[in-house]
Amino acid sequence: MQKYVSVVSAISRFLGVVSVALMVAALLSVCHMVVMRGILGQAVIWQTEFATFALVSATFLGCPYVLMVRGHVNVELLPLKAGLSARRVLAFVTAGAALLFCVAVLVNAVEWWWEAFEGGWTTDSIWRPRLWIYYLSLPVGMFFLSLQYIAEIGEVATGRAPPFGILHDDKTESRS
Amino acid sequence: MSPLAIGILIGAVSIVVLGSGIPVAFGLGLVSVAFLVIFEGFDSLSVLADTLFAGLNDFTLVSIPMFVLMGAAVASSRAGSDLYEALARWLYRVPGSLVVSNIGACALFAALTGSSPATCAAIGRMGIPELRRRGYDADLATGAIAAGGTLGILIPPSVTMILYGIASETSIGRLFLAGVFPGLMLAGLFILWALYLSWKRKGRLIADTTVYSLRERLEILPRVLPFIVLIVGVVIALYGGIATPSEAAAVGAALALILVMVVYGVWRARDLWQILRDGMRESVMILMIIATSILFGYMLSLLFVTQSVAEWIGGLDVNRWVLMLWINVLLLVAGCFLPPAAVILMTTPILIPIITKAGFDPIWFGVLLTVNMELGLITPPVGLNLYVINGIAPDVPLTQVLKGAIPFMGCMIVGMALLCLFPEIATWLPDALMGPGS
Repeated sequence: MQKYVSVVSAISRFLGVVSVALMVAALLSVCHMVVMRGILGQAVIWQTEFATFALVSATFLGCPYVLMVRGHVNVELLPLKAGLSARRVLAFVTAGAALLFCVAVLVNAVEWWWEAFEGGWTTDSIWRPRLWIYYLSLPVGMFFLSLQYIAEIGEVATGRAPPFGILHDDKTESRS
Repeated sequence: MSPLAIGILIGAVSIVVLGSGIPVAFGLGLVSVAFLVIFEGFDSLSVLADTLFAGLNDFTLVSIPMFVLMGAAVASSRAGSDLYEALARWLYRVPGSLVVSNIGACALFAALTGSSPATCAAIGRMGIPELRRRGYDADLATGAIAAGGTLGILIPPSVTMILYGIASETSIGRLFLAGVFPGLMLAGLFILWALYLSWKRKGRLIADTTVYSLRERLEILPRVLPFIVLIVGVVIALYGGIATPSEAAAVGAALALILVMVVYGVWRARDLWQILRDGMRESVMILMIIATSILFGYMLSLLFVTQSVAEWIGGLDVNRWVLMLWINVLLLVAGCFLPPAAVILMTTPILIPIITKAGFDPIWFGVLLTVNMELGLITPPVGLNLYVINGIAPDVPLTQVLKGAIPFMGCMIVGMALLCLFPEIATWLPDALMGPGS
C-alpha cells in the first residue's frame, strides 16, 4: 500500500505542476491578447479559446493534487461531533461516495472523449482546435483523482493518516 | 412525488451530505448524480462529462483564477503589514487611530486579495497584538479584524461577485462598482462601533503615543502606492469598458506578480512557485465547485425543482419585503454552513427569477447577498474568519473572539437594513458611471 501511495502521490504532484503551468499559460495568453488587441489594434484568434481551454484543463488535472494537499473545501460538522472510530467510518463512507462520483464521471468522460476523437470534433472558431485534446483533461483528471481517493482511503485504513486530517484534539472546524 | 417535495428532499440530503466532511465540490456532484439516477435512470448520466465541462467552458470564468493569483501574490508579500503601517503612520494624530488603521488596512488589503481569510491573517497578525498592547480588549481587537476581513468579498475585485454575476447573468463591472460604497459604509460602521466600545469601556478614545515624522510617513508610500494604483487601475479598466473582467484580472495578476518581485524582492524560484501553487490550489477548489454546482443546477432544473420553487414562492401572497427578509434568513442559514461560492451557485438560479419578478434590482440584490455571505464568514459553526483569528491569536479563546464579533454582525445587519432603505448606496455608483441599468 505504501508503494502505491507514494507512486500515486508522485503522479498527483506532477499533475499539480502541469496544472500550474497551464494556469501560467492562460495568464500569458490573456496578457498577449490585451497587448495585441488593446495596444497594437490587431485581431485576436486563439487567445480566448486557449486561455479557457488551459484553465479548464488545469482544473481537472489539478484536482488529484488539491485532494492530496487537502485543498478542496469541506464542512466538517459531523466529523468533529463524532468520536474517533465513528470519524474513521465516516471518512471511509465519504471517500467511498466521492470515489463513486469520480468513477461515474470517468466512465462517461471516456466515452465522450472517444466520440470526440473518432468524430474529429473541432470548435466553431477560426482557430478550430481539435476537441479531443481539450477533452482529454477530464478523463485523465478523474482517473488520477480516483487513484488519489483510493490512496486516501488506504492511508486512513492503515492508520498512516488521521481521518479527515483531524488529530484527536484538533479544534479546527473548517478548512479552506 | 411532486417537484416541490423532491426539492425539499434534495435540500435535506444536501445538508447531510455536505456536513459529512466530503469536499463540497464532490458532495454536490454526488447528490446530483444520485437524484438523477433515482428519478431519471442511469441514462441521464450520459450528459455528466459534457455538463461538467460546459460549466467551466466560459471565458468570464478565467477572471476567477486570475484574481485569485493576484491575491496570492499580494498575500505572499509584506504588503499587508506595509498597508497597516502606512495607515498607522498617517493617522497617528486621530484619536482611536489604531482601530481606523486596522479596519482601513483590512478594507484595502481585502480589495487587493479578495480573500477574507487572507485579510484576517495578514492584518491580524500585526494588528491584533498591537491593538492589545495599546489597551484594546482582546474581544474587540479580534472581533474587529474578523469583521474587517469579511470586506474581502464585497470590495472589488471580488470572486464572490464574479460568481454571482455569472450565475445571475448580470454585469460584473456593474456589480464591482455597486460593492464600493456598501464596502466603505460597512468599514465605517465597523470603525464607529469599535471606537464607541473602546470609549465606553475606557472613558476616552485611546490615542497613539508614537509620533511619526514627515519623513517616516513619506518613506513608506513607495511600498504601498503601487498596489493601490493597481487596484484602482483594475476597476477603472473594467467600468471604463477598456477590458473584460478576465483581461483586467490577468493583467492585474501579472502586474501584482511583477510588483511583489520589484517592491518586495520576491525573486527566488521557491517563493514564486509557492505563489503559483497557492493560486492554483484555491482556483481548482473554486472551479470544481462551480463545475459541480452547474451539474446540481442542471439536476434541479431537469426534475422541475427550480421552476416549482420559483412558481410556489411567486404565488405566495406576501409583501415583497417580507419575501426579501425570508430569502435573506434562508441565505444566512445556508451561509452559516457552506462557503459563499457554493451558496451563491446553488441558490442564485432559483432566486433570480423570484427577485426580478418581485421588482428588485439584481445588482442591488447581489450586494445584499454578498453582505449576507460576509455574515456567514464570522458566524459559527463554519465562520472561517473566526478560526483564522483563533489561529493567529491562540491565547484568545474562540468564545471571546465570537463575543467580539457579534456586535460587528449587528453592524452588518444595520448595513443590510440601510441598503434596503437606501438602495442607491449600491446602485448610484454603477448608474452614474455606466449609465442606468436595464
